[in-house]
Amino acid sequence: MKRKLIQLPVFLAIFFSTFGLHAQINENIWFDGFSRSYFTRDALDKSLIDDTISAKNTSSGYNLLDLNTHVNPIQNIEIFAQLRIRNSFGSFFGSGTEINVRQLKAKGVINNKIRFSIGDLFLKQSKFTLYNYDEELSVYENDMLKFYRDIIHYENFYNENRWRLQGIQTDFSFKFDRFIRNLDIDFFVTRPRGSFQINESNYSSDLIYSGGSILSNINKRLKLTTNYVNLFELSSSGTKNISVRNPVYDISLIHRYNSENYHIQQTLQTGFSKRYWLHSELENAVSDSISNDTKGMYFDLENKFSKQDSSLFLTLGFRYVDPNFRSAGAQTRRLNYDDINRNTIYPFYTNMSLIRPPSMFDIVTDDQLYNQDLSSVLMAFNPIYSNILPYGDATPNRIGVHMKAIINNKNNLFHAKFNSGFFKEAIGQGTSDKRKFGLISGFLKINLHEFLNWQKKLTISASSENEITQRGGKDVSKINFFSHHTNASINAELIKKFFIQASYKQLNAKGNEFVTQRDNYGNISYFTLTDVDQKDHMLSVGMLYKFKKNLYAKLNYSWWGMTSFDQNYLNYKYNRLLLILSVKL
Amino acid sequence: MRGSILIIFFMWVGSSFSQDTIIYHKSFSSNILSYKNLSTSISFSGYYRFLGFVRNQQETFPNNSGKTLMISSGDAYREPMFLLKLNGKTKEKITFAADFMLNSLYKGSSSDFTQPLTLNLGLNLSTSIATNHGTFNLKSGGVSWYRQSRLTVWGNHSFNRISIFERRPQTPLNKTPIDRYSNYYKSGLVDQGIRYGSRAFQGIFIQGSKLPLNFSLKSVIGKSTFNRSLLESSDNFTSSFQLKNTLNTNFKVAYNYLSSWADTDSLGGERRNYFIHTFEFDKKWEKIQVQMELGIGNYKDPINKLGHGEAILLNVKTAKTLKVPINMQLYRISPQFVNVTGNFLNTSVLDVFPNVEGVGTTVRTPYQSPIVGLGYPVNNRQGISINADLSLGQLKLNGGIGVFAEIDTSYSALSYIHNVNSQTLSRIYVFAQNWGPYNALNSTYRGVFENVNIIDTSIAGLTNFKKFFNTIEFQAKYNNKIFGKNYYLFCLTRFNTCQKDFSFFPKIGKQALISQFSEEIDFSIELSEKSALVLSYGIEKILGNSSTDKGDSPKATSTNTFFEMLGFDNLYRYTNFRNQKNTLFGFGLDYKIGQNAMLFYRYNQYRYFDPNFVENHLEGWEMMLELKINF
Repeated sequence: MKRKLIQLPVFLAIFFSTFGLHAQINENIWFDGFSRSYFTRDALDKSLIDDTISAKNTSSGYNLLDLNTHVNPIQNIEIFAQLRIRNSFGSFFGSGTEINVRQLKAKGVINNKIRFSIGDLFLKQSKFTLYNYDEELSVYENDMLKFYRDIIHYENFYNENRWRLQGIQTDFSFKFDRFIRNLDIDFFVTRPRGSFQINESNYSSDLIYSGGSILSNINKRLKLTTNYVNLFELSSSGTKNISVRNPVYDISLIHRYNSENYHIQQTLQTGFSKRYWLHSELENAVSDSISNDTKGMYFDLENKFSKQDSSLFLTLGFRYVDPNFRSAGAQTRRLNYDDINRNTIYPFYTNMSLIRPPSMFDIVTDDQLYNQDLSSVLMAFNPIYSNILPYGDATPNRIGVHMKAIINNKNNLFHAKFNSGFFKEAIGQGTSDKRKFGLISGFLKINLHEFLNWQKKLTISASSENEITQRGGKDVSKINFFSHHTNASINAELIKKFFIQASYKQLNAKGNEFVTQRDNYGNISYFTLTDVDQKDHMLSVGMLYKFKKNLYAKLNYSWWGMTSFDQNYLNYKYNRLLLILSVKL
Repeated sequence: MRGSILIIFFMWVGSSFSQDTIIYHKSFSSNILSYKNLSTSISFSGYYRFLGFVRNQQETFPNNSGKTLMISSGDAYREPMFLLKLNGKTKEKITFAADFMLNSLYKGSSSDFTQPLTLNLGLNLSTSIATNHGTFNLKSGGVSWYRQSRLTVWGNHSFNRISIFERRPQTPLNKTPIDRYSNYYKSGLVDQGIRYGSRAFQGIFIQGSKLPLNFSLKSVIGKSTFNRSLLESSDNFTSSFQLKNTLNTNFKVAYNYLSSWADTDSLGGERRNYFIHTFEFDKKWEKIQVQMELGIGNYKDPINKLGHGEAILLNVKTAKTLKVPINMQLYRISPQFVNVTGNFLNTSVLDVFPNVEGVGTTVRTPYQSPIVGLGYPVNNRQGISINADLSLGQLKLNGGIGVFAEIDTSYSALSYIHNVNSQTLSRIYVFAQNWGPYNALNSTYRGVFENVNIIDTSIAGLTNFKKFFNTIEFQAKYNNKIFGKNYYLFCLTRFNTCQKDFSFFPKIGKQALISQFSEEIDFSIELSEKSALVLSYGIEKILGNSSTDKGDSPKATSTNTFFEMLGFDNLYRYTNFRNQKNTLFGFGLDYKIGQNAMLFYRYNQYRYFDPNFVENHLEGWEMMLELKINF
């Protein structure tokens, strides 16, 4: 009810402010946004015989409009509200309708000097302090399935590896004529989670995430950056006397060199973190204390080489991340493997009504599996889909080298990417032996129409990602785990703006691994041995019509499923028909 | 505290000791930077409609809770008090629309009575693409109103032969109050809005016009209000398609297709589906126009496999310029020809209606051999009707007669739609099925129909005979001036009967299973340019014979107390069966407050009474005050 009371004035404020005006005439109020019609029909594959209690087919869909209203009441100030209107397919006359305020913020420049934003912020700092790393299986997404990724990112506010946070942010800059060239300063204070009532007499504490950055271009070649973030709970805002603290300090020195033909950049980055839980305001005048205290540092050296004509990019680096390095802003995962997070499509399967674990298809298509909240402890991950860097570059307990290359043909005949990394654990987990990791992946896209000199587009692309994890030592703790993700697609423009598309994705995982169980404070509590021999597949064919620059319609049919070679009863196959109409307003 | 001091320090430094403060160069910001896009144009329209309503029940059904007085604001149905239609258009000419509905119960400041912001119908997205081969419109979303052909997707857009005392939320505002009555007098039609001529659909709509060789097409795939499942995720879809060719301005042909399929169990193992193919023909000569739609349908579900069935609708009408324009309608729709979105009532398969609580009840139309007026075809029925118009100076007469017969025997029941007090009764128990002391009443959108059981049945529960229906409708409209002010008088007489045998004319007396007679008189007078007074009187009499439900009164009652009192023994009889009498007397005032703003007051006394069914007695009055402002 409270939500409704908030929605109504916002809605009225937006619309009545514009009622007497014509947006196209009044430059102070302008609109943009996004709209989408989405329909899916999922069905059990006919070959499936051991699931007679699930519906043979299920359909769902919706129409939504995200109307962005921008109001410039005075120069250098903008009020922004995003109103979401959504109605479910199959619901008539108001049922299944949602109207929500999705974003609300004000931003501007004070006195032509200080930039500020209040409300919904999209924040990013360094890769070890505040960074929203891409989810697994998304590195070499093919064109055909990219729309799924776009929807997941849009629905979860994943924007340029930023976290969506709510609070206040400001930045300003100084320019100097001696010693240093400029000094940029940035601060933010946000509240990722507000206090809420747990039960009749208990309230959780407000969770605050704040930070600041100072950057200086010392000269044309040297740049010094320092960052600081802290995730902490205000214990007095709730009834719990235990609150987390997680400050992270970061410093980096960047050296750049430009010549007529190429550009070189070296980055030296290091920092450290602390994380502990503060016990305060205790009874009987017991003094404050801390528990679960961890400290960790990291070190990263990265060398980049790129040609000025963008035909070649090379990156070579070395990274060390301490096992106890903890940074909520950089280590929170997008994919949420929380036990209560169920797949939207067929969450249960087989005649035993087993919970269906997320498969490759779910990761690619289901936006409900993704997370938008910062986590103070390391979130669970599934080694099948990402075992080497599940927390991105900030993955703790890693030491190793990495290399990346991007090659763009000058005549646009092909585009290639290569990525590799060789890491090992800094310390062993549960044993003195350390895991060793190998990561090799590549992507190639060939523009056949350029070869054939066709006006209409014909492209093929393929990618391969391989992860291998090994650990020696005693038989009981040995690990040999391998996963291989392949991806191939073809995109053919039959008539102008009308494409026929096909793609195939497959993920093979085989071997054994120990999945780490952690308690509420992130401490390892158990290692669960997991033997895996499975294959996920997804074959899709479809049509795409790009009506206009900001409007497309897509019809897609997919056959997907999972095959477990040692537990046949867990196998499943499903089909999906999808229709989508997407418009950027 | 330390952080706050630091912030203040840096901000102070930034504005006082900095050598040069720069804001427009690409300085570091942890936040995302945004840029102004090309703006999308937005416009709004809609209305505010306050409806104050009071109902005082002096006689109630026995199961009434004891509450006899009702005071409310807002329509009894789901109608907006404040309708705000948003229409947007991007620079690429993609249009989008949503209609917001804001209601308030005006029941006090408690947040329990706060109404959520919602959509009246839904969200639509559309675009148009012009090519060398034609113009294509693509629309997605819904609810959108779709219309194709009478046998596939259609609804009556305009209404003739109704009482216009009651107003609907969609009833448009006229320039002056009296215009509503003068328009009805002149054209004979009441435009109730596009929703009454079409069916509500959600889905994908494609329309092609200006195609080569004068072709055009339209199609939809999605769900209609009639295609709703127990589980929202279960299959229940309808697709419809039309290909039309305009050979010349006076000759059009079209092919129509409709297919509907639905899961009938939660696992999707069993399915109901039906399809229809029809061919349409529309030829106009100088004085005569012939419209015909001929089709074939097939219905099957896990229980019934009806096979193929035919349908034909033929309409021959003369030009309106003739002294006595005539319109002849002939139709035959077989029981196998099943459809719930066409312009006919489905009576052969009950299961095709969604019967989901809160969902299906809103759309369930009469299905047990309904007695209907002219212009409302029914499946498992065939018949012919003729309508004619005549003008005698200021007096305009129109009338029609129809005779119809079932093709096959059907449910051992009948249903009839009340002509008088229909909206009043439906407001007492909105969208309820089988209510009232005898579980015979059924409420639909602004109407009530009543079911009658027939005792002459077969083992299968069907009647042992085919039912025959007769209808006569007659309307007189008169306009003149009194004291220089226009007044209008509308008299509408309707007589419907159903009996076991064929007859050219309605049968009166014991032979008719059910006979329904109604007389409605509306009078309106222009008081000033800004105001009009309206009066309405309606009476309806329904009689059943011995093959129908017997009443619980031990004593037989007279079918006409007036003639009984006068002693005209030949004009009445005594009966123990249905002997209903509905009466309504109402008056009202229409007042124009200003441009696009009007006030309407309505008061009516009603009575629903049957001396043989002693508990069938309702009596009371209703009062409504409507303020409608368009923008």
